[in-house]
Amino acid sequence: MKIPTKLALRELRHDWQSALCFVAALAGVLGPLLIILALKNGIIGTMVGRLIEDPSNREILAIGAGQHDAAFFAALGARQDVGFIVPATRSINTSANAVRNEAQRKLERAVPLIPSAAGDPLVEGEAVAPGRVWVSDKLAQDLAVAAGDTLDMIIGREVDGQRENARRDMTVIGVLPAEIWPRPAIFLSVPDLLAVERFRDDLSATPGNWTDPVAEPESYASYRLYARSLEDIGTLSAYLSEQGLQSRPRAENAALLLSFRRNLNILFTAIAALAMFGFWAAMSANLRGMVERQRVIFSLFSMLTMPDRQRCVIPVVQSLTLVLGGVVATLIIILPFLLAINASFETAPGESIARLYPGDILATLGLGAVTAVTAAVWAVFAVRNVEPQEVLTHA
Amino acid sequence: MSSSDPETVLSIRNLGIERAPGFFVVIEELDLAASETIVLDAVSGAGKSTALGLIAGALPLVDLPDTRHAIAGVPVTPETPRAAFAGPDKLGFVLQTNTLVPYLSLVENIELPVRVAGQEPDAEWQDHLIRAMGLGDYKARKPGQLSVGQRQRVSVARALLGQPALLLLDEPVSALDPANVAEVEGLIVHLAAEAGSAVVLASHQAQTGEFANTPRADHRLLDHQGQSYSIFSTAGRAAARVA
Repeated sequence: MKIPTKLALRELRHDWQSALCFVAALAGVLGPLLIILALKNGIIGTMVGRLIEDPSNREILAIGAGQHDAAFFAALGARQDVGFIVPATRSINTSANAVRNEAQRKLERAVPLIPSAAGDPLVEGEAVAPGRVWVSDKLAQDLAVAAGDTLDMIIGREVDGQRENARRDMTVIGVLPAEIWPRPAIFLSVPDLLAVERFRDDLSATPGNWTDPVAEPESYASYRLYARSLEDIGTLSAYLSEQGLQSRPRAENAALLLSFRRNLNILFTAIAALAMFGFWAAMSANLRGMVERQRVIFSLFSMLTMPDRQRCVIPVVQSLTLVLGGVVATLIIILPFLLAINASFETAPGESIARLYPGDILATLGLGAVTAVTAAVWAVFAVRNVEPQEVLTHA
Repeated sequence: MSSSDPETVLSIRNLGIERAPGFFVVIEELDLAASETIVLDAVSGAGKSTALGLIAGALPLVDLPDTRHAIAGVPVTPETPRAAFAGPDKLGFVLQTNTLVPYLSLVENIELPVRVAGQEPDAEWQDHLIRAMGLGDYKARKPGQLSVGQRQRVSVARALLGQPALLLLDEPVSALDPANVAEVEGLIVHLAAEAGSAVVLASHQAQTGEFANTPRADHRLLDHQGQSYSIFSTAGRAAARVA
């Protein structure tokens, strides 16, 4: 195939003005498409992706208190659409009266307590355990603590009008980033949370024994539940509803987000498909016209015993070359343009307004190659129909 | 001479085409041995170029009885691949309008048939052809940068590079000014003899010059049952040995 490839390229070089026009035409179609794709990936994709990837948006909040037994949690834990489930106490018992860092003489009051366990989607690292907790970034800053420090958790109650406090040292094993949990909070184990509830509700628990291990309760008043993905929130909510339980997704607009992302992809695909079809048709007609202009030469090739398959390679090689040239020209034009866009707008670290991934460029090349080869089919059939006698007729 | 003769380069019986409705061009009989030359001399429109196309196996045939066609011993049939009988070592064809590939240089045009056949040109013979044709100073030029006469010489060199058994010439000097005709004809005769090629020349102006004394194929026009036939034949007539 060396000879037909050489002939194809030489003809393009000879007729470079026509080739350049076609490359420019392709760049005119492809450039805006890639810019739209880059913006979709960048500002829109990042925004939507951030919302979709944030695990908090997958949380389903329990409304009111209930009585959820071990079977309830086992059933939820076995579901494919559940990402994480952990029991919780009544909301009235999910805060510490105060938390103190004795070493720094700092104290915070009414700190929310959030049950956690292994697999918590908000916690990346060692799981909580009795006496070992994660704290939010805000609380860590307020109390000037870091991983490895010790906190003094204070739980209060009133007995016969007398204030009574229980204390417990908690080791901080990690700090949750602010983007995960922006408010003050302690993520602790279920036994620790149960101990808080027991001290407040059960007078037999004293400041001296309130953290002693006790039997697991028959039921829990609440839970912390996360769907495996945004798409799972609907089915999981429906399941809870079937169980007679009221709940609501933390991200009420999750469905809207998903729909937005889906519609955006459909819209872009439709625009790209229309543009590529237009280009394909133009390419196909151009190649067919090229065969017509070179009809005598194709006939000469046949007269000189060039096999059909070699002659047919010529428009295919030219098509591939033109498309490759168009893609390269487009990238040369738009990449500086995208860099300029990104330089003009301030974004969070690692994020950008417009972004093209290597996969996008490879897909463009692949799609371009498919377009080139299929657009050459008409020309290939035309070449096959050029007979050696035509060069005699022409003569 | 018969078609089974190992020296037979071209053997044709009853080869015809309907060139226009009701008008047929037929080669009744044409045998040619190596280094022989024959001229197809007839008035314009008689089908000389068409007869060359028939010889080259490039035209669709009409059904005639006892059709036979072989070039350098290879039967020419619709099923035979062109490369088998029209490769550069078997067939060279100088077209009337010396069609060249406009985006290839002079040398690349000359080498094209040999390259297409997947062979390397004989460098010494190629140099000899180019020098003999007076093209040595124009090797890198494209056809558009050559005169009509130079393009004609390139066509002749292209046809001869593979040292073909059979050389077909279609009015090879018709586009030349009279001053160049004798020179180009002389070169063709000389180089074809060097290549050992048998030659079929189609020309209506070969009454003078190098081919003036070369044997002609018989040509006759026949009207039969409302159809017209332009018939070429060498039956009973010897070709000239040019070597």
